[in-house]
Amino acid sequence: MKTSIEQQNGELIAVLEGRLDTSVSAKTEQELQPLYDSQDQNIVFDCNKLEYISSSGLRIFLNVLKVAKSKGDRVFITGANADINKIFAMVGFTNLFEFR
Amino acid sequence: MKKNKHWWTSLQIGNSLALLIIAAILIQLTGAVQYYFARNGIRNEVEHHAKTEMTVKHLEIQQMVSGVESAVENVRWLLGWAVDNPETIYPILEEFVKSNPDIRGCAFAFVPYHFKEMGRWYEPYVMRDTNGVLIQKQIADASHDYHQMTWYKEGLVADNGRWTEPYIDNEGAHGMICTYTIPVRNEKGEPVAVFGADLSLNWLTDQFAVQEGSKEVSFLVSREGRLLACPDKDMIMKYSLEDIRPQNNDAQIETINKEMLAGHEGSAKVKDNHGDTRIIYYSPVGGRTGWSMAIVFSEKEMYKGLRSVAIKLQILMILGFALMVYIMWRTVKGFKRLQTVSAEKERIGSELRIASNIQNGMLPKTFPPYPDLDELALYGILMSAKEVGGDLYDFLVRDYKAYFCVGDVSGKGVPASLVMAVTRSLFRSVSARIEDPGQIMSQINNAMSEMNENTMFVTLFIGVLDLHTGNLTYSNAGHCAPVLLGEKPTPVKMDANIPVGIMADWQFTSQSVTLKPGQTLFIYTDGLTEAENATQKQFGEERMMEILAKSGTTPRPLIENIIQEVHNFVGQAEQSDDLTMLAVQFTKPRASEPRVSEPNHIISNSIILHNDVQEVPVMTDFVERTAEQANLDPSVTMTLTLAIEEAVANVMKYAYPEGEVGPIEIDATIKDGSLSFTIKDSGTPFDPTQVKKADITLSAEEREIGGLGIHLIRNIMDTVEYHHTSNQNILTLTKNIE
Repeated sequence: MKTSIEQQNGELIAVLEGRLDTSVSAKTEQELQPLYDSQDQNIVFDCNKLEYISSSGLRIFLNVLKVAKSKGDRVFITGANADINKIFAMVGFTNLFEFR
Repeated sequence: MKKNKHWWTSLQIGNSLALLIIAAILIQLTGAVQYYFARNGIRNEVEHHAKTEMTVKHLEIQQMVSGVESAVENVRWLLGWAVDNPETIYPILEEFVKSNPDIRGCAFAFVPYHFKEMGRWYEPYVMRDTNGVLIQKQIADASHDYHQMTWYKEGLVADNGRWTEPYIDNEGAHGMICTYTIPVRNEKGEPVAVFGADLSLNWLTDQFAVQEGSKEVSFLVSREGRLLACPDKDMIMKYSLEDIRPQNNDAQIETINKEMLAGHEGSAKVKDNHGDTRIIYYSPVGGRTGWSMAIVFSEKEMYKGLRSVAIKLQILMILGFALMVYIMWRTVKGFKRLQTVSAEKERIGSELRIASNIQNGMLPKTFPPYPDLDELALYGILMSAKEVGGDLYDFLVRDYKAYFCVGDVSGKGVPASLVMAVTRSLFRSVSARIEDPGQIMSQINNAMSEMNENTMFVTLFIGVLDLHTGNLTYSNAGHCAPVLLGEKPTPVKMDANIPVGIMADWQFTSQSVTLKPGQTLFIYTDGLTEAENATQKQFGEERMMEILAKSGTTPRPLIENIIQEVHNFVGQAEQSDDLTMLAVQFTKPRASEPRVSEPNHIISNSIILHNDVQEVPVMTDFVERTAEQANLDPSVTMTLTLAIEEAVANVMKYAYPEGEVGPIEIDATIKDGSLSFTIKDSGTPFDPTQVKKADITLSAEEREIGGLGIHLIRNIMDTVEYHHTSNQNILTLTKNIE
């Protein structure tokens, strides 16, 4: 699992690559700390290269969303494949996040 | 590696060689320095000795000579008076000789016609004869014209007394004489006579005689260079400095001679006719005599002692050096041997590894071994204490019967492993044609006993399970009793049979027991019960039975669980003996009609994990492999993996207390168009099906973070069942895959 964070067009983009399962979730959450610290900018989860996600990863998404919303920022999910999108649908993320 | 060693060896030898050369140079240098200083010391000593010798002789000669000189000077006034009173001449001469015992005689040599009546030659003389009697005589006549002699002519006009050249006196005592002369003047002050006092020089000969053991030669020469004293008496007065000098080195000798005759002191080195170097010290002696003395040393003689010491020292050094070379040679050889030994060790080690691989290759390793047989589940493991071991297990299925064995060869290591290999191949070949385990055992025993020259024996258990009925016949040759698992673990009954390989023609008995469907026979070697921890405590049968009671009957999880327990018990202690376990389960009776095809293909996999989330990828692999066997498409595989991960991760995180290691078993079965995973743990009882459903319709602010896992499981799987039996949480997740 690889993560990187880019600043682009006034948005904070988190690029997720590989399998986000329970064994790597703690490390990934640490690496995504800048998302929690961001202020006055929208956050984008770039899921183009995300192969798999389990509930431990979904929790990170949810936590980031809660923090961003409390600051009035928006969180987008982009590039997720059909299987991942199916998982997002299963847990109702389609109602919470903005997809583009 | 080899090249490297070679390089190392040559470096060693190179070092030794350099060391030897340095040592040799040092030894030689020390010898040279020692020789140099010893030589100098000897030279100084000799020089000192020469000077002392010279001084001593000088003093002796001086004493003698100046005794005469002062005696004459003392009577000078009287002599002046006597020349005018002829009657007093003889009495004065007599008195003078009498009162000076060193003086042999004395005389007046008068100018011509001093006393008219005495004529032209008048030389009154008084001498002591050999008996000490004083004799008077007038010794001059025409034949002895002293007026022409140098001593007279020079003595008469001289101001002071002077010594004549020594001469041989044939008149008196026949010896070497030297005369001290003074001019005698009359009242008018005219020189009228020469007074001479004779000193015998015979004592000089003794002085210069060669002393015993002395390395030097000394000699005395007169003012004119005549030899006055030297070790060879025959040369005295007959040879002069000119005669005794060597033929070569003219210029140098010339200089020395001149120096000596001039009355100078000094030293020089001269090579003689034989090439030997001689050192010469010279110094004037004897007051007004003008004599010069020389001491000559032969360098060869001088350093003779030193040379012999140096030769002895050299021999000692060579011996010491040879000893050193020997010791070094031994050391280098020792190094080489050490290298050879460790290379040998390495070679044996690598051969042992190969042997270990070969031995491992003999044992069946593929589990499940018979995926198409519904009636049989089987799992075995062998853990060797050393590279190769003497334990064995094997199994084969023929004619709906499973033949299996577990054995333990006496001893360990290579010999045991060879016997193990023989036993295993005998089991294979014999059980291929004989059904009765007792007879199989007897045949193996006969073959083993015949060729058993090292009296090694094998405890062996052979079982034959009928897959139609579950009837197990078995024969046991001294092996520990297997345990039947199902309800309560029970050791099977055993006839008393001796181990294999001890006695040929022993008739091994067969026994039988019927396994109910689901029952498992657990066979092991004593490496299990005798596994020791660091405090030498044994695992023990009691502990084994306790663990067997709660490990279920599925062969693989059962054995994996025991391995885990043994590891926990043994800890860091080294494995002391081979450990072998084989579990054979009669899963269900074989259908009476053997199926031609198998539409309901069964796959049964299992794995044991620990409560560590880092093992999630292992679980993922396991699920993906199972999914592949079930021909699931990747999309379904992913959601399936997700569901299992959620269930397993939940157990990993919460089932066991923080910091405690616990096992999680996952069994996967594909059967009748469904795929089910059973997740078992012995942690805190927890029913995930009772968790409150997550409400996914809530807004982000209202959503709870937890509860997603079970929500996903429910969404993905078709049935989710939870049981808690025999202290285990058992969660079964099933998905229809048809």
